[in-house]
Amino acid sequence: MMDVSNLAVILITSGAILLVAYLTAISAKDVIRLLISLELMFAAVFLAIIPLFSINPPLAYAVAIITAFTSSTELLVLVTAIILLDRRKRGIGLSKVAVGGDSL
Amino acid sequence: MNIDTLIIAAAGFFAVASSIGVLLTKDNFYAAMYMSVTMLLVAAIYAAFNIQPVVVIITLIFIGAVGIVTVAIAATYRAGASRKVSIFWIIPVIIVFAILALAFTSLAVDSIEVVNPDVFPAVATEYFFVILFLFALVVLMMLSAIKLARRVEL
Repeated sequence: MMDVSNLAVILITSGAILLVAYLTAISAKDVIRLLISLELMFAAVFLAIIPLFSINPPLAYAVAIITAFTSSTELLVLVTAIILLDRRKRGIGLSKVAVGGDSL
Repeated sequence: MNIDTLIIAAAGFFAVASSIGVLLTKDNFYAAMYMSVTMLLVAAIYAAFNIQPVVVIITLIFIGAVGIVTVAIAATYRAGASRKVSIFWIIPVIIVFAILALAFTSLAVDSIEVVNPDVFPAVATEYFFVILFLFALVVLMMLSAIKLARRVEL
């Protein structure tokens, strides 16, 4: 089993990074900052997976692989969306995004 | 508190500090760089637990692919005019590269050996559905991106 102090350090770090990522997302003025904050959130998720390795390593490894690929796919789709937003609206500011993004 | 906890705590502290750098900096390019440093430190915490496959996944996929794309896109859409970079920056780069090359040649072993070769056949059997799922996901993502880029109605 994992040392309790290690577990506490990991979960506190994960929570702190997640909090900073939320604050970055809330204060973002353009979609690139939003993309960066999402990547920070995934970093926090990666940290939160570590305790699972002490319980069931094969399952944790599978979860880590799935998390890495799904999050990377999601982020790359967001990169595509940023480029399309710039093409259509001539800018990447969040003010240019319509409500729900339905006009993109 | 043992040495492992101290190393993990130090990596965690610097990870949080660099994530705060993302929040505080006004330039998206620097924000992307701080984000990459945060991811590297998360990989370092995995390395402290000796979970090397995930270290490779994070460094290659997250920082090597997605992180670099983010840095590139942040540099492209940079708010201010790009500053002129002095050519003398190449000197510290060469010095660091020389130190790394020297360390590598002194530490490198004669031959490269695979530590646990039984792992590779397990990828095709134990992780079959994971790989199948990810392959389907990548194909779907590519099709969606092509459709979006061609402006075909989804």
